[in-house]
Amino acid sequence: MSGVFIRNVHMRFGRFVALEDVSLSVAPGEFVTLLGPSGCGKTTLLKIISGFTVPTSGHIEIGGEDVTQVPPEKRDTALCFQSYALFPHLSVNDNLEFGLLNKGMARGERGQRIDEVAAQLALELQLAKLPNQLSGGQQQRVSLGRALAMRPKVLLFDEPLSNLDAKLRDQVRIEIRRIQKSHALTAIYVTHDQAEALAMSDRVVVMNAGRVEQVATPEELYHAPRTSFVADFIGNANVIDAAVLGEDKPGLWRLQTELGQLQARSAAPPRAKEIRICWRPEAAELDGTEAQSIEARLTHRSFQGHYTDLFLDKEGCEFRILVPQVHADVGDLLRFTLAPEKIVLLEPVA
Amino acid sequence: MQMTAKAWAKVALLLAPGLGLILALIGTVIYMAVTQSFGYYNLSGESVFSLEHWAEMLDRRLYFRSVQYSLYIGVLSAVFSVALAYPLAIWLRKPFAGSMLIGTLLKAPLLVPGLVAAFLFINVIAYHGIVNQLMEALGIWDGPRRLQNDRYGIAVLILQTWKNMPFALLLLTGAVQGISDDVLDAARDMGAGSFTRFRKIIAPLSLSAMQAALVIIFIGALADFSFQVIAGPTNRQSMSQLMIYFQGHGRWHDAAVVGVTLMVLALIGSAVLAVLARLLVRGERVR
Repeated sequence: MSGVFIRNVHMRFGRFVALEDVSLSVAPGEFVTLLGPSGCGKTTLLKIISGFTVPTSGHIEIGGEDVTQVPPEKRDTALCFQSYALFPHLSVNDNLEFGLLNKGMARGERGQRIDEVAAQLALELQLAKLPNQLSGGQQQRVSLGRALAMRPKVLLFDEPLSNLDAKLRDQVRIEIRRIQKSHALTAIYVTHDQAEALAMSDRVVVMNAGRVEQVATPEELYHAPRTSFVADFIGNANVIDAAVLGEDKPGLWRLQTELGQLQARSAAPPRAKEIRICWRPEAAELDGTEAQSIEARLTHRSFQGHYTDLFLDKEGCEFRILVPQVHADVGDLLRFTLAPEKIVLLEPVA
Repeated sequence: MQMTAKAWAKVALLLAPGLGLILALIGTVIYMAVTQSFGYYNLSGESVFSLEHWAEMLDRRLYFRSVQYSLYIGVLSAVFSVALAYPLAIWLRKPFAGSMLIGTLLKAPLLVPGLVAAFLFINVIAYHGIVNQLMEALGIWDGPRRLQNDRYGIAVLILQTWKNMPFALLLLTGAVQGISDDVLDAARDMGAGSFTRFRKIIAPLSLSAMQAALVIIFIGALADFSFQVIAGPTNRQSMSQLMIYFQGHGRWHDAAVVGVTLMVLALIGSAVLAVLARLLVRGERVR
């Protein structure tokens, strides 16, 4: 087991800054996901870790060794590609064996390693087949098996599930996590799918425009986002500007917002007088008994089965809440409450 | 769907204008050459079946030397052209500043007629040519040397490679460009160095283009006439040269024997080259 240490990595392509001062440490056996929208630099960072791209500056350490200048063929990492990247002219068995041959492993050991991986990924019956004779899920498993057979220090995933249908994606997601845990592999996973990131990861690195916005556990990211970008990117959030009026009690902050005066609970003081705040749509309680209540007009409602999505407007400030059941029509005035602990203080207004 | 006689007739009628014409023309030529080599279509005597022309030819040392020489030129030209084209195709696989210009320049020999190229080349290697002048000026050689019409056909091989390499490059570039970056990256990620990537990934995945290039260049070079006449050795004759010699002396049956030999060699040689390329690239599987 080896950890990965990324230190002050910058990456420029001409005048375009792809990564700016990215630092991150991944503990041995940890599953870390790089999450962000297209073009945020997550794949570039993965390519730097795998050795396909050399950073403009900064260092990459794997297992305590500086590998910044080490080419991918000599780096002890294995990458699972989005396109699977199976060798189309080789059978499944030969695909699995490819890396082991390059390592110069003896025939007996190679066979044993392939049998193990094939059994683990239920590929025993597919070994003689060519990749184009396999389904998408099977191809994904071969890609994973090819990487696992190498027993690398670090396993890297570049959006490996994006070509699979929803049901299969769920299955393979569980499978990947199970194997990663059972082998205690250090894994770095790239995705733009926040549900995937939250479901699989020990920690998530949210990236935006070449910078790391926040590194946290899925729960922490969801309940305590640090920036409005994270709040908005991870699930749904109502983000509004607020002016800090003062501290009513220790940890209870009074704020002036477009929705009126609100109280927010936060152990850490706000970072500026003018900040942003957020709350999750499901944090609001319709006709609640809490003192902090807000009245707004219903502009749109969308029935989602076990809950209803309500879009509200209060003097031009639009937001949404999720409630289990509601008897109201568009145009009605609704009163809901928002507990101070459900409001999160974000970064200062730029 | 079961094909009825009517359906077959319709297919035959539809194919007749295109395929029929091709088959008729090729078939006529082959038929004429083969029958003439066995004594038929005699222009100056009785047309009867005879093995005499084959027997006479197989008795000649000149014939075997000619076969040997043509095979030597054909095989080496094809191999050299493909061997030179591969690294260039890999280099030009991904576009970079100036890659289009380089690609165009490399393909320029395709636009130069072979005969013109041969004359230009002669000017370079002639007794008073640029190479001799340069070597003398550099003080490497004391006087001019004879480079033209060398006995090993090196000038012909250089000309054939120069002329055919762009064609191989054209075929191989397309095939190599068709290999996805991810597949090559995956091989690299699995520990494969440059040569291993070529041997285990690029070559097998561009095998069809390689075979096509080898076969087409081989057939062309095997039947070379113009390069041989201008720059080839004087102590060897290519099969085309031999055929033209016999035909020029009114020995049509002997010319037909050489022509049929040329066709058979082209057929067998192409198949052997294609199979060898396949065995070489895929024979070992991953190992």
